[in-house]
This record gives sequence, structure tokens and C-alpha cells, in this order.
Amino acid sequence: MLALNIENLSVVFPGLSSPALAIGHLSIAAGSRVAITGASGSGKSTFVNIVAGLERTRQGRIRWNGEDIAGFSESRRDRFRAANIGLVMQEFHLFPGLSALENVLLPARFAGAATADIIERAHALLSTVGLSRPGQKIETMSRGEMQRVAIGRALLRKPGVIIADEPTASLDAESGEAVGDLILDLAIAEGSTLIVVSHDQRLASRLDRCITFGSGRISEDSTATAGEAA
Amino acid sequence: MIRFILSDLRRLWAGSLVVVLLVALATALGVSVVLQERALRLGSARAADKFDLVIGAGGSETQLVLSSVFLQPSPLPLMRGEVLGKLAADPRVDWAAPIGFGDSFSGYPIVGTTTMLAQNLSGGLIEGKIFAREGEAVIGSAVKLSLGGEIKPMHGLPEEGGETHIELVYHIAGRLRPTGTAWDRAILVPIQAVWHIHGLAAEEHAEEGAESEHEHEAASGTGTAEHGHEHEEAGEHHDGHEHHGKLDPDAALDESWTADAPGLPAILVKPKTIADAYKLRQEYRSGNTVAVFPGEVLTNLYATLGDAKQILVAVASGAQALVAASLVLVTVIHIGQRRRQIGALRAFGAPRGAIFGIVWLEFFFLVAVGIGLGFALGYAAALLLSDMFSETSGITMPVVFAREDAGLAAVLLAFATVLAALPAVLAYRQSPAQALRA
Repeated sequence: MLALNIENLSVVFPGLSSPALAIGHLSIAAGSRVAITGASGSGKSTFVNIVAGLERTRQGRIRWNGEDIAGFSESRRDRFRAANIGLVMQEFHLFPGLSALENVLLPARFAGAATADIIERAHALLSTVGLSRPGQKIETMSRGEMQRVAIGRALLRKPGVIIADEPTASLDAESGEAVGDLILDLAIAEGSTLIVVSHDQRLASRLDRCITFGSGRISEDSTATAGEAA
Repeated sequence: MIRFILSDLRRLWAGSLVVVLLVALATALGVSVVLQERALRLGSARAADKFDLVIGAGGSETQLVLSSVFLQPSPLPLMRGEVLGKLAADPRVDWAAPIGFGDSFSGYPIVGTTTMLAQNLSGGLIEGKIFAREGEAVIGSAVKLSLGGEIKPMHGLPEEGGETHIELVYHIAGRLRPTGTAWDRAILVPIQAVWHIHGLAAEEHAEEGAESEHEHEAASGTGTAEHGHEHEEAGEHHDGHEHHGKLDPDAALDESWTADAPGLPAILVKPKTIADAYKLRQEYRSGNTVAVFPGEVLTNLYATLGDAKQILVAVASGAQALVAASLVLVTVIHIGQRRRQIGALRAFGAPRGAIFGIVWLEFFFLVAVGIGLGFALGYAAALLLSDMFSETSGITMPVVFAREDAGLAAVLLAFATVLAALPAVLAYRQSPAQALRA
């Protein structure tokens, strides 16, 4: 379970006058469940890339439980992400030709982390997300099933935080709803901090807190209201 | 990891196949050049091994070897016939056989020689017997004629517009064992018959020397040594006038070499010992004759051929460089197409080193398979070329790998190692966020 603390973050892309993302201060408590919303180009994706360590920032501090990943080298950020952050994306980024189980295990195998325990957990996770055939080839699955495999992959190494970037946007309403429920339930069950970027109002409304981005800045933060509602 | 590579290759099978084929063809080109050159060298050396010492009239040593060992048709200067008699009587000589060229049949060279050579060339016959009369012939193992068949000698080669001799028709009496030399395609006939056909018997040429002169200048290597040569005796069993126009195919062979035998282009000599070989070479090197060890002449020839090989190797290397360049292009495009995949792997926690490794391994695997296939293809191509060459020349060309080929393979693999690192580095340097955006 990880807490996020951002200070003086400013992400500037070459050729753009205003920063793509500028956050003076933001804290997300460990174990909280936060929705990030906002129009396209409001800086949501940049936010995900920065906090997940996929992109480097020159200015500001991004602390996960006190560790500033902005100061990490590329390889160290990769290691940190592999161990602590579970990513679920709009595109599933699964590998055809491999089975559901192999896809879940692939990043861990690359990192040399696929121990017997992890393999056992992969089986357990697949049944948790409702897939009964771990050996099924990924290309034979429906999109909803594929996203379930991706969720299993994200949770494999018991990450302290789950970051989901539009996890339901490429699914139909029914399977989108099921996937949204699954992510929420699993984050609670695993005790992970959850950050969900979504247009999906229904999904966003079920989280503790909703942060809205506009033009690269936080335009609204609903901590108080969500807190009252809870 | 291996399963990931395999499923990836299965997915990108067409591109992978192209990479493998490109590498295979470029490798095959280089390998076949090397193998073929070696086959030519080994084949000709083995062909020359059968002949210890060749003696001819003064002139080009190389030409003497090419004509006598490889039966390349070309006019040779003649030496006096008495040399043969001297050699035959020499105690250091196991056997000595004259050879005379000039005629052909169906593209096979007809070589006039003696029973001595026919007996010793291949160590026996597969079928039939050695010629015993003037109208009989023995064929090499690769001559596609059958026993008892007729051979109508043609002066020169068909492509030179040679005329067919009407004086004599040979009948095939026997077939030699294979020797792996150009002689497998030869038709061996009694040299006495060749002389008679060309009107050159010892006793005849006083009368007909002037007449026959134009003939042996044209293409024949056989002819009179000296027109002024005096001989006191007309042969015991021949009357030249009788045989003029029509020869007696049943005439017996006379292989007692008198001093007045007609001029000879070359004599093959089998010395009794190596020491004898050197002594004989020394002795027959002076004056009007040259004596050569074919192997030694070939060695000199290879020194020249070596340069040609260098050029071929350079051309093959150039082709390989082109392929390498196109492979670089293929990989850069390939990595471009796989950016998202690589970005995703990293986003989900695969370390950069592992991605470098997998991209490297995958590409190296393709190139290595290509190199392996290239060696097989090159070997097959060399075998095919050797077969074709053997078909026309009779010389067996052994296609064999040597230890230095492992060096070539090592160099190619080392190159593949470096080449495969390029896409791997490209993949390594990509930012995952950028890759996923693409």
C-alpha cells in the first residue's frame, strides 16, 4: 500500500509554451481509491506516465511512500514500477500466440521474478478474475476477457498501487461495468492504492475521491465531498 | 522467454523468412565460392597425382601439363621419337607411355597411347580387354559408349569443323576403371593407329612428310619430329603404300620403340622411386625436352589462381555487405513496428536488459539459422557445380569443408552478434511512454 506525494511538478514538452502538467501539491493517501477525470489533452495521461515512472520529469518531486522516483535512473524506475505499480491500460497490450497464463506471467518472467509462488498466484488470479482456462490462447478471447487477463497481470506481484488508464473505454457497457467492479473489488481485497483515469462517470463516482484535470492543472478535487458522502 | 520468441517469430513469419533467406543466400554465395575453389584445387591436384612425371618438347610447362593431365586440346611442340625408346629402356623407369592427341569422337578426346598406359592408368578394366590391334579402343569410365561400339575419329573437335577420318574405324574393346581425372572421358587407342591415320608411321614420313605437314600444324599434336630425320629401314611389317587410304584394323601392335618413331608431344613416365623421379626430371630437363612434375606446375598455377579467388571472395563479401545493410534496414523498420510491444513490456515491468536480450536473441537466432542454411545451400550449390564440371571434364571435384571454414562461420556469427545488437540497442533506448504513445 503506497501513498503518493507530489510537489512542484512541472512537465513541459518541447514546442509547447504552457506545461502539459503542473501540480503544486498533491497527496494521495495509502489505500485510497482515486478517480482522475478531465477532457482529452487535460494532462491525465501525462499524469499517469509521470507517477508510474514511464516518463521522466526534470522538475518536481514524485514521492511514493517517501521515495522520490523523479530522482531515479531509468532502470531503477523500471524496477520500482515492476515491483510496486500494477498497470491496466485501455489497450490490453497482450501478446498473441501466448496463453492467458503466459501473458500474466510474461513481465515477471522477463524480470526473473516468476517463482513457484508467483506462478501459483497467477493461476489463482486468473480464477479470481473469472477465467477458468489459463491455457487459452489470448487471441481467442473476447475483449472483456482480455482486460481481465490484463488485470491479473497488473496484480501479479502484489503491487502497492494499481494505476488503471481508461480500463473500460475500449469495452462495451456490460463488460466495462464488470471490469470496473473487478478492479475496485480487487484493489480493496489486495489493499492497494487505486488510481483510475476514466471518463466513465459511474466508475468514477464509486471511488473515494475524484480529481479533475483541466489544461494540465488540477481544476477540481472532490476529497471533501467524497469524504462526506462516505 | 523461448516461447515468447517462438510465438513472436510465428506471428512475424513472413518477415522472418525474408531475413533468413537473405542471410542464407548471401552466405551460400560466399561458401560456394570457397568450396568450389577448394574443389577445383583438390580435384586438379588429385588428377595430377596419377601422373608422376611428364616429358615433352621444350616449351610451356603449364601447357604440357594441361594437355597431358587435363587433356586440354592444344598443339604441343614435338620431341624426337627416340626419347621414348630411351625411356622405355631406362632401368629407373617403371613404365613410360607416349600420348598423342588431335582427334575426337562425340566430344571425347581420342588419345593415342600404348597398352602400357591403358594397363596402368586405372589399375585394370571394368569390362572388356585392352586394345590389341590397331582398330581397337579402350574407353574411360565416363565415356557414354558401349563395348563393341564404333568410333569414327574426327580430326580436331566438332566445333572446329573437323573432318571425319575415313581410314579407320575403332571398335571398343574395353572400359577402364574410374580414375577421377580427365582421362575418364578419354578414348584410348593405339598410338600406332593415330600415326597411320595421319600418315606418320616411321617408314612413311620420308615420302609423305611434306604432304602431312599442314595437317599437324592445324590441330594435331602428333607429327613428325624432323623431316630431315634419316632412317634406313622401312618397317618390317608395314608397307606404307599399302595402307594409304585404307588401314588394316587387324594389324598387330608394335610397341618396340625404335629410334625412328615419329615425333611425340608428351610421354607419361612412372619412375620406380622418388629418387628416380628427381633424377629423370633433372636429366630430361636439359636439351630439347622438358620434364615436369604436374603437381609442382599446378602449385605454381594456383599461386596465380589465388588472386582470382581473392577477387571472387571480395565479390562475395560485397554481396554479404549489401545483405547486411538491407538487414539493418529491415531491423530498423521491424523495431519501429514493434515499438508498442516493447514499450508495453517495459511498462508492465520487464527490465531493459531483458528486452535487449530478447530482441538480440530473436534477431541473432534468425541470422544464425540463415547462416546455417547458407552453409547447406552453398555446399549443395558447390556439389551441383562440381558435378556439372565433372560431367564435362571428367575430373572429380571433391567438395569438402575444411577447418578454416569454421573460421568463416565464426566471423559470420560474430558479425550477426553485432548486427543483432543494433535493434536491441534501439529497443533498449526507447522510452516506454513514447513507445506506447506511438
